Amino acid sequence: MIIPIHLPTPGSSSSNTLPPQFAQFGTDEVVLIELQGSLEVEGDKANQRVGKLSIDSTTKKSTLLIGHNLLEGKLVNLPKPLAVLHRNSSKYSSEQLENMDEDVEMDSKTKSEQKGWDVATVVRRKMVFAKRPMPMVGHAAPGAVVSSVEKAN
Amino acid sequence: MTDFNLKFTSSPSENTRTYKLLELPPELLKEIESQGEQIPSSWSIKGQTTEDAVLCTANKTYALRSVVLSNSVLVVTPPMNNSEGNPDTDVVIRDELHEILELVPCVPKLQGLRGMLRGRVYDEGHEDEDEDMDEDVEGNENENSQEQVRKQAKKRKFTYADAREMLQSSDGELSEGLKQRRILILPGGELRPISHSLLTTILELLLNFVVQFSLPHDAASVADLTTAIEESQDIRRQVTTQVMEWFGDISKEGGKWKMDVEGIVKEVGIGILRSYKDDPIPEDEFLTKWRTAVGDSFESVASLPLLSGNYLSFPSPISFPPIPVLAYFPASELPSDPAARFNDLFLTRPRWKADEISPFLLDICVNNKERDKLLLKFARAITDSEGVWYTARAKYNG
Repeated sequence: MIIPIHLPTPGSSSSNTLPPQFAQFGTDEVVLIELQGSLEVEGDKANQRVGKLSIDSTTKKSTLLIGHNLLEGKLVNLPKPLAVLHRNSSKYSSEQLENMDEDVEMDSKTKSEQKGWDVATVVRRKMVFAKRPMPMVGHAAPGAVVSSVEKAN
Repeated sequence: MTDFNLKFTSSPSENTRTYKLLELPPELLKEIESQGEQIPSSWSIKGQTTEDAVLCTANKTYALRSVVLSNSVLVVTPPMNNSEGNPDTDVVIRDELHEILELVPCVPKLQGLRGMLRGRVYDEGHEDEDEDMDEDVEGNENENSQEQVRKQAKKRKFTYADAREMLQSSDGELSEGLKQRRILILPGGELRPISHSLLTTILELLLNFVVQFSLPHDAASVADLTTAIEESQDIRRQVTTQVMEWFGDISKEGGKWKMDVEGIVKEVGIGILRSYKDDPIPEDEFLTKWRTAVGDSFESVASLPLLSGNYLSFPSPISFPPIPVLAYFPASELPSDPAARFNDLFLTRPRWKADEISPFLLDICVNNKERDKLLLKFARAITDSEGVWYTARAKYNG
């Protein structure tokens, strides 16, 4: 069995980019956020809001407010760069096509011709939330409908 | 401070498990970064369902290992479209990962070739006693090519594409492996190892014709040689050309062959020696045969050190005074596992001189340091008036 991995060609990157504040934490397309523990969701999580992510560009600090829990994050350089691979099955592409904008549609159409995995981008940094969450009393984040369970350690 | 909404994707089922993180060794990072400057290269993950997957670049193979993380990593991207969020204020979690993939360089797994190509030896009209040739002896190509075509159509061919699909090896390493194993790529991509006798015949003919036509050793005309060999022995040009590629370089533009004289002379020597596996040949007699086979112009190249790792030399037990005799004993047919190889070597001979045993360890260690380590581990050194001898460290039962 051979599963091809397509390397990125210059200029093939998608038109969507992250807000400029994110670039220093990863790339303008993908940011990796590391959490201790994992996000646990009851019910349908599609399109739900997790929390508020605040970025301070000057101090390179970030905070994540999930419900009443405030997490402090920092910028960590990866010891070895990571390639972010994205699966590119035709099934995935065709389903996605239906609710996509015109320009994105074109992009995904050309990609779906080649099955396998794409190297979406290479990241050298990540945003790490390593500490235990701090409770925020009387500071409920509006619209937070998912609860987060953090591993206690 | 700028605030953003961290959201889940609007289509979790299509996004989860579609992302992976792959740790990049420096050379692979370079390859990604230099994309566009050269011909786009492609990587692939190879393996049967029962094997551990490997990642192959154009000419290297890496073992893939999954490293489990106790933390989770969220892959966050901008919203795909307006319904998923506002690109200025929202960022979207595409996937949540608990492992990264690590790459470790490894040797290409080409051992399978031998089994896959069993019974497919290529020979043109020559009987070869070494191999099981029941169905494989082909008639003269011109006389019964019709029948040959039918015969081949009946049997499932094993092609280059099959090998590429089944073997965990990069394309570059596969081509190199085929060359080293003397496997021909016939029209249609069919792979067939060349028979020992046909290879020896072609090499002897090449040496003869190079001398006969007074061709320069570093720029012999490929067309002249292949035509001459086809006319005299009915050996296909294609076959001869591939043999020439194994033993030298063919220039791309001019069709000139830079021959590897030592390589050819060595192979001819091994070809002769091969029939003296159980029935040793006196050293002088062998050298005479060898020198006759390679011809006057090349006989100076034929010397025993060229064949090291392929023969055993010992005094003949039946003649007096004892004359040295040679027996065919190829390192390539010994087990590749060090313990098993030492076991085999000490079964063949109870004790070895250091310079006698080292040729048989060359292909299982990368350098002399590693060889000495193996000797230290698997053999016992004894020093007497004749120098250092190695004997078995322990008796292995099975």
